[in-house]
Amino acid sequence: MTGPTLVVGELHDGALSDATKEAVSVAQSVSGKENVVGFLAGSSPRGPAAGFGRCGVARALVAEDPRLDGVAGAVVAHLVASAADSLGAELVLVGGSTFGRDLIARLGIRWNAAVATGVTSLTRTGASFEVRRPVFGGRATETRQLEGAHAAVALRPHASAAPPDSPGEVALTPVPLDGVPASFWAAKRLSVEVVSRGAGPSLTDASIIVSGGRGVRAAENFRLIDELAASLGGAVGASRAVTDAGWRPESYQVGQTGKQVSPQLYVAVGISGAVQHLMGMISSRVIVAINSDSTAPIFKVADYGIVGDLFQVVPALTQEVKRARGQ
Amino acid sequence: MEIVVCVKPVPDAETRLRTAADGSTLDIEAVKFVLTGYDESAVEQALLLKEANPGSKVHVVSAGPPPRTEEVLRASLALGCDLATWVEMPPGVAPDPVSAARALARAVAAVPHELVLCGKNAGDDEAGVVAGALAELLGVPDYSAVLDLRWDAAASRLRFQRSTEAGVEKWEAPLPCVVALQQAWNDPRTAKLPAILKSRRLPIAKVPPEAAIPATGTTRPTKFELPPPRTGAKLIEFKTPEEAAQKLVKVLKEDAKVFP
Ligand SMILES: Cc1cc2nc3c(=O)[nH]c(=O)nc-3n(C[C@H](O)[C@H](O)[C@H](O)COP(=O)(O)OP(=O)(O)OC[C@H]3O[C@@H](n4cnc5c(N)ncnc54)[C@H](O)[C@@H]3O)c2cc1C
Ligand SMILES: Nc1ncnc2c1ncn2[C@@H]1O[C@H](COP(=O)(O)O)[C@@H](O)[C@H]1O
Repeated sequence: MTGPTLVVGELHDGALSDATKEAVSVAQSVSGKENVVGFLAGSSPRGPAAGFGRCGVARALVAEDPRLDGVAGAVVAHLVASAADSLGAELVLVGGSTFGRDLIARLGIRWNAAVATGVTSLTRTGASFEVRRPVFGGRATETRQLEGAHAAVALRPHASAAPPDSPGEVALTPVPLDGVPASFWAAKRLSVEVVSRGAGPSLTDASIIVSGGRGVRAAENFRLIDELAASLGGAVGASRAVTDAGWRPESYQVGQTGKQVSPQLYVAVGISGAVQHLMGMISSRVIVAINSDSTAPIFKVADYGIVGDLFQVVPALTQEVKRARGQ
Repeated sequence: MEIVVCVKPVPDAETRLRTAADGSTLDIEAVKFVLTGYDESAVEQALLLKEANPGSKVHVVSAGPPPRTEEVLRASLALGCDLATWVEMPPGVAPDPVSAARALARAVAAVPHELVLCGKNAGDDEAGVVAGALAELLGVPDYSAVLDLRWDAAASRLRFQRSTEAGVEKWEAPLPCVVALQQAWNDPRTAKLPAILKSRRLPIAKVPPEAAIPATGTTRPTKFELPPPRTGAKLIEFKTPEEAAQKLVKVLKEDAKVFP
């Protein structure tokens, strides 16, 4: 028996996030388009839930309550578990985000589901599912069999493409708000400070990242990295040497204890390539290193290298990129 | 404050990964397991909270096989944790995150626990699941991706930041709860030799894993793959920075096909 697949949506700037749309497309391919049901919780979820219709989802459940904005996945998990039960769902799928992981973790207990996060591929194998996911900071990939009647899966961002936007209607059904323990409402989100990142994409969303390291030497020189990233339409990252020195806030850090990224193109500038840095970016598709020391370990993992002084090479590269892109 | 920290032994970052003979998991033969990454920071965070709030206790808990689990517990005691509990699992690979959470929940529920700290994710499976699953089992809320955690005694509230896709969020929350830390900076202390020696003699409470696992979904590893080794960078030869730039743009466009 194959029950429906429930895709739990998340909002970004008031609309369904890209991660949610990616989850819809994976759900459609493993379960069939007509077996996908959306879910959205929030203070006014009905407007944005229409986005499910434009992804080809015909039916969605909405939980509506002013307290539901900005809550952690933990709260929503209770609503999702009841909804999944009443639908007879076999799979709950969410996009790759903090919210998605939190939600999935709870479903492992509340819904007795086999759980996997950071999943890059999900396939049906007989009565159950198989997932592939990077582990050890992208240094290895594991395959796991999900066993049992229920599966709850959070995807890795960008591992799949969102379905094309097409006109489509979604029928919305409200779900009750019961089952959330009272203590879960006691925490308060006091404020959200959107991390300023200029016009570019965020580090975890970007398909191109330019990161600077200690070789950049001072906070004010970091504009060289910003300018190269801007010319490529990419995001800016940093090594821990940079965030430790306070040249850039911690949110820029790539690595074992920073963000894990896997863009199409990663340009490491003035970064030696310590193993803890590599753990955050080794799964990038193409790696370019710019470093004055030809023995720097980063050259062992890079695809292309320029052995040179970043203060000369980077400005020239920014100019050349702009020229090539007609900027 | 009664603080519990959950730590998992994971392979040292410098470990050369190899696939086990059956092809399904990491070959743990000769791998050095350590307290590392977010868990090391979580222990540090617990000790900072204890120091700022006299009368607090830090209890470190780990579920895993011998001997590595005992080793990370001793390492945590050497750093200044007060008590340790080991949920002794059969030798071999680590339990999957939901099973680990079930094993931990029994041990944590049996000791005083107002604040339970976990790492954001373990350095091996990188699941980020244990904290949420543990919180569900304990019946308390959990907060993930937490930075800059403090206890405001006057208001009886934790104050912290969360680093999410929305940005940096400021939160306050009452106890009890589970917190998954995404702390990258707090330069964890290192243990002094006398403390290391002393930690070898400190008691560790041992508890058996859950007797009967309830009928539930589980995951089973079937394949562990390593990427083909990277062969080293193709170096670009150049006389001037401009030439380097032109050549790089050309290969990114024509060979790698990643030029925007
Ligand atoms: C538990 C733990 C966790 C860690 N987590 C992380 C993490 O998440 N992320 C991370 O990045 N690090 C992390 N580190 C730190 C890591 O070990 C390295 O110390 C750090 O990555 C080094 O940063 P770097 O490459 O910028 O600096 P360095 O290693 O000092 O390298 C600077 C490089 O710049 C080059 N350079 C200098 N001048 C120039 C020039 N003019 N032009 C071109 N090149 C130049 C040098 O040749 C050198 O290779 C962690 C460490 C520990 C112990
Ligand atoms: N076997 C375990 N024993 C104790 N704590 C664990 C165990 N597995 C995971 N944890 C904790 O949960 C966090 C997240 O682990 P994971 O969900 O596996 O990514 C870790 O950083 C630890 O704090």
